[in-house]
Order: sequence, then structure tokens, then C-alpha cells
Amino acid sequence: MIALLQRLGRMGCNVTEGLGQAAILLVQSAVGMPSAEGIRLWLRQMHFVGVMSLAIVLVSGLFIGMVLGLQGYTILVDFGAEDALGQMVALSLLRELAPVVAALLFAGRAGSALTAEIGLMKATEQLTSMEMIGVDPLRRVVAPRLWAGFVALPLLTIGFGVIGIWGGELVGVKWLGVFEGSYWGNMQASVDFVDDVLNGLIKSLVFALVATWIAVYQGYALVPTSEGIARATTRTVVYASLAVLGLDFVLTALMFGGLS
Amino acid sequence: MKRSKTMELGVGLFMLAGILGLLFLALRVSGLSLEPPGDEFRLEANFANVGGLKPRARVTMAGVTVGRVESIELDPEWYDARVVMSLDEGLEGALPEDSTAAILTSGLLGEQYVGLSIGGAPETLADGDRIRDTQSALVLEELIQQFVSNMVKE
Amino acid sequence: MTDSPLVEVEGLRFARGEAEIFRGLDMVVPRGKITAIMGPSGTGKTTLLKLIGGQLTPDAGRVWIAGEEVHALSRKALFRLRRRMGMLFQSGALFSDLDVFENVAFPLRVHTDLPESMIRDLVLMKLQAVGLRGARTLMPSELSGGMARRVALARAIALDPELILYDEPFVGQDPISMGVLVQLIRRLNEALGLTAVVVSHDIKETLSIADYVYVIADGRVMAQGTPQGLDVDRDPRVSQFIHGEPDGPVPFHYPAMDFYDDLLGTGGPR
Repeated sequence: MIALLQRLGRMGCNVTEGLGQAAILLVQSAVGMPSAEGIRLWLRQMHFVGVMSLAIVLVSGLFIGMVLGLQGYTILVDFGAEDALGQMVALSLLRELAPVVAALLFAGRAGSALTAEIGLMKATEQLTSMEMIGVDPLRRVVAPRLWAGFVALPLLTIGFGVIGIWGGELVGVKWLGVFEGSYWGNMQASVDFVDDVLNGLIKSLVFALVATWIAVYQGYALVPTSEGIARATTRTVVYASLAVLGLDFVLTALMFGGLS
Repeated sequence: MKRSKTMELGVGLFMLAGILGLLFLALRVSGLSLEPPGDEFRLEANFANVGGLKPRARVTMAGVTVGRVESIELDPEWYDARVVMSLDEGLEGALPEDSTAAILTSGLLGEQYVGLSIGGAPETLADGDRIRDTQSALVLEELIQQFVSNMVKE
Repeated sequence: MTDSPLVEVEGLRFARGEAEIFRGLDMVVPRGKITAIMGPSGTGKTTLLKLIGGQLTPDAGRVWIAGEEVHALSRKALFRLRRRMGMLFQSGALFSDLDVFENVAFPLRVHTDLPESMIRDLVLMKLQAVGLRGARTLMPSELSGGMARRVALARAIALDPELILYDEPFVGQDPISMGVLVQLIRRLNEALGLTAVVVSHDIKETLSIADYVYVIADGRVMAQGTPQGLDVDRDPRVSQFIHGEPDGPVPFHYPAMDFYDDLLGTGGPR
């Protein structure tokens, strides 16, 4: 009984310590004036985490939009309300699916790569040697990746939403014959820029921060062996996905839900 | 340096695409208008009941969207709803004075919108004028009530 | 000032978890000399370098470099101090996203505002010194282990440090590149007057270049002296290590119960 309690206590201490270290990492790396060199490094990471994730995000967005079009149509047509298809596709994409699915894909594609990359730099002593040269690896290695993730994911989310809405139109309007005017008209009448588009983007910014943060922290704090890197990469995907889904509920409740 | 140039170009395109996507979401999906407010053609109409009409709902004429509902508020003078609509500028001075406005529903479950019907008077409506002849939204409960009381009378 | 020691370690204690790695270590590294730190694997030689470089903080004891107490410095002052030190890592630790030229130029770009042409000259000079001027456009992944270590050496001396720390420079090298590294380390020390600390367990090579040797075991300095002095040291532990005998005071067997009992299974479970 006492041993169990002790184990619980140790777990609590470990979790708190980890969170504290992660917070220190975030503050030390993210705060500070950007330099010309920093912007160049950031650009490089934007390419790595943003442009390289574009294909998977856009293809997923297209398919999810098409599925929404198809499912929405079969449900709505029973009520003779297939005109509301555009509204359904757009709202479910902008409020939920684009921020969440793009963040999950991002955690899997870019987050795990960030963890592995930083972990490998740690395992090959690149981070230590950087410190010995007198350069803070938090500012040189972690900060550009953190900021790149923070900017890239919202952009990817926008791309996801746009192509998803287009995919819904492709199926609903072009194939199933929903009237084009009512697809867009109903959408425009029901989608509010601030309530839906901007709230979706705010969600996406939060997810971007959390997912990238988890990824770089896992990379920075991992045990520098090949097994340690493999574990940390898995942890990044699991933790980031759970954090995204959990935060999504909280944010949805705050933004749209009457849980107050 | 060539590799970094293409990389920069890639990132630039990526960010541009993101911004364009946001514009698309703003203009095409949520129907925001870039035109500055002010030089619009505004009309008011008072309805006894607006039902489920919401701001930014469509205003149509013969099924064609010609504007949006800007605001809906209670008129404290008559205790009815004052709906302010902003219409295409081209319609300024083209609508007869006795045009009517009705709150209609698109489909059984669709959203509500304002339909304008043209009148025949020689005088025309100017910016800020009020449409006097209006038809309120159909409220399902009232319809049923009427139907039931008619049945009872018979 | 010139004959005061560059690095002084006093009463150093350090534990990692339950395991005590150092229990009161004292050491002096004189200026302009090559000092070797030797000892069996797992005695924390690399840890000692990290403590000297200020990457780890000791539980007790002090480290002075050029009169500054390393662990009492602010983060900023520590980074400033590190500009005067170079460190060669076991794996080379070249930045995998930069080519050879940029790797060597990295410390110069970070710490100086030199014009591009001067950086180029300096980098080529350092690469020439390690014989790899022709390899400047290669990426680290295209280098052999020995070449990577030489590039890392060029990077470590890019800022002309006073002190250079070598972490296992000879491990996993073929005889030729080992010879090259031995020669490079000695030449750098003679030509530039660098103070060097070499951590290694390659006895022959280390003894051939070191001016003074510390042998570490059980968290303390077990023996110290010149290479010639250690060679004839009569302490059985020292002579076992220096002459590479498989069994002796440092046992061949991990502590275990009696072999005979173990085989018969009479000693206990398993």
C-alpha cells in the first residue's frame, strides 16, 4: 500500500519535473529577438515542416472533403435538404476537421521527424559541441523549429479546409447534382468569418504550439541511443495526438459550446 | 546557394498559398465583402416577426441574391423588428416605392432569407428608405394554430 | 601568470543517480603541456571533460579555468569562457546539415564579424593544417571516421583556443589515421603552444604524446606522473592498466558467487 503510494508520488514528481523542464525549454528558446541568421534557419525549417507536409495534408483534405460530401448528401437527401450540403461540409471542416486532422497529420509527419532529428543531433553530440563552441542550441536548433511549426500548421490547416470544401463541391455538386448556387449560398449564409474561420485558426495555432513543443522537447530530452530515439518518436506522436484531441474538446467548449 | 534559393521560393509559395487560402475562406466561404461600407444602398423594413432570420442572411429578388441583411433590432416605437438590408448599388433608384419584402424559407429545413418583390409605383426608393409593405416569417406553430381553429369552426 | 596552471580541479564530487562517479578528485593541468587522463572504461573520463567544460555541475568541489571558477559563472560568462576552449568529441560531432567548410567556419561566423574573404582564408588555413583542404565541399555523411575527426579538430581550433579538450581521439581509428591524429595533436601543441587535455584509454598512443598522465579509478586519481614514471610504477593496479594485463587487481570476472556452487545449483535460485 505504502509502496503503491510511493510509486504514485514518484510518478507525480516525474510528470511535474518533465512539465517544468518543457516550460523552461519553451521560454528559453522562444523568447528573444530574431536575427537575420535566425530567420534563415526558420526559413529552412518552414521548408522542412511546412512545404514537405503539404502533400499529405492536401491529399487528406481532399479525401475528407469528398467523404463529407458523399455522407452528407446521403443523409440530407432523405430530408430533402441536400441544399444544406455546403453549409454542413464547410462548418464541419472549418470548425473541427481541418484543425484537428491537420494537427494529427502534422504530429505524425513533421513532429516525429523533428524529434528524430533533434534526437540524432543529441546522440551524435552535435548539441553538446554546439554548446562548447559557445552557441546555445536552444536558440540555434530548437527555436527555429518551434517557430516554423507554429506558423506552418495554421497555413496547412487553411490548405486543408480550402481543398476539403472544394472536394465536397466536387462530389456534391459535380457528381451528385446539388445545385451549385445553393451549395455556396447556404455556405456563405451560415459560415461566419470570425466565429468559424478565425476560431478554427485559433484552434490550429494552439495545436501547432503544443504539437511542436512536444516534438522538440521529446527530441531535446531523450536518452541519446537508437532505442531512446525510437521511443521518443513514438511518444511524440502519441502525446501530441492526445494533447490535440483533448485540447480540441476544451477549445470547442469554450468557443462554440454552451458549457459555461 | 542555389538549393537555398529554391527552398526560399518553396516556402514563399507555401505562405502565399496559405494567405490566398485564408482569403478564399473569407470571401467565398464565409461571404465577407471587401467593399468598404458607406457607399452602399441601404433599405429598412419592419416586420411583425422575423422568425429565424439572422444577420448576413441573403436578400433576393426573383431568386437572385442582391444583398444581405445587415442588422436586426427591435424598433422601440412599434415593438416590431427593424431589419436593415444593404443592397447592390445598382438598385439604388430603381426599386418602386411600393415594393414588398417577405421573409421566406428555402426548403423545409433551409435558412430564412428576405425576398423582395417589385411594385408598380412611379416613385423609387432611395438610400435609407423604408419598405412599408412587409410579410412576416411563417411560424409553424401559428400556422398549426390557425389550421386547428379553422377546423373547429367548421 | 604564464606558469600558473590553466585548469585546476579541486575536491570534485559528482554522482549520477545512485552511482558515485567522482569522490574527491584533484587535478592540475599546466599551461602549454599535453595532460592525459587515463583509466578503464566507465570511470567517467568523458564526464570529467563535461565537468571541466561546464556542461555538468558537480555536487561538490571546484573547477578553475584561467583563474575563473567555471560553475560560478553566469550562463553568458560561461559561453564567453568557452570561446577560449576547443573540444574534440568522440564522434566528431560535425553539424550534419552543414558541409565541411561551413562546419569549420561556424565558430568564426558565430563569434566574429570578420568579412567573408577573411573567414574563407582562416577556414582554408585550418583545413590545410589537418590536410583536408580538398574536402571542403563534402558533407559530414561523406567523410570517413578519421576524416570527420580531423575536420572536427579543424573546427575546434578555428578560434585559436588556449585550451583544447580531446575526448577519446583514438577510439575506432585505423593505424594510419591514428598516427595522423597523434602527429596532429603533438604538432598543434608544439606549434601553437596549446594546452591540451587528452582523455583516452589507448595507452601506447597516449603515453607517446603526453607530458603528464593522471590515471583515474574508483572516482579518484589512482596514479599520476610522467609517462616514463608510470611505466615503471610498481603499484599492481597501475601496472595492470599500463601494461594491459587481463586479470589482476581489476578483476576479469564480474562479482559472482563461487563457480562450482553455481554450476551445481546449490548456491541459491538460478
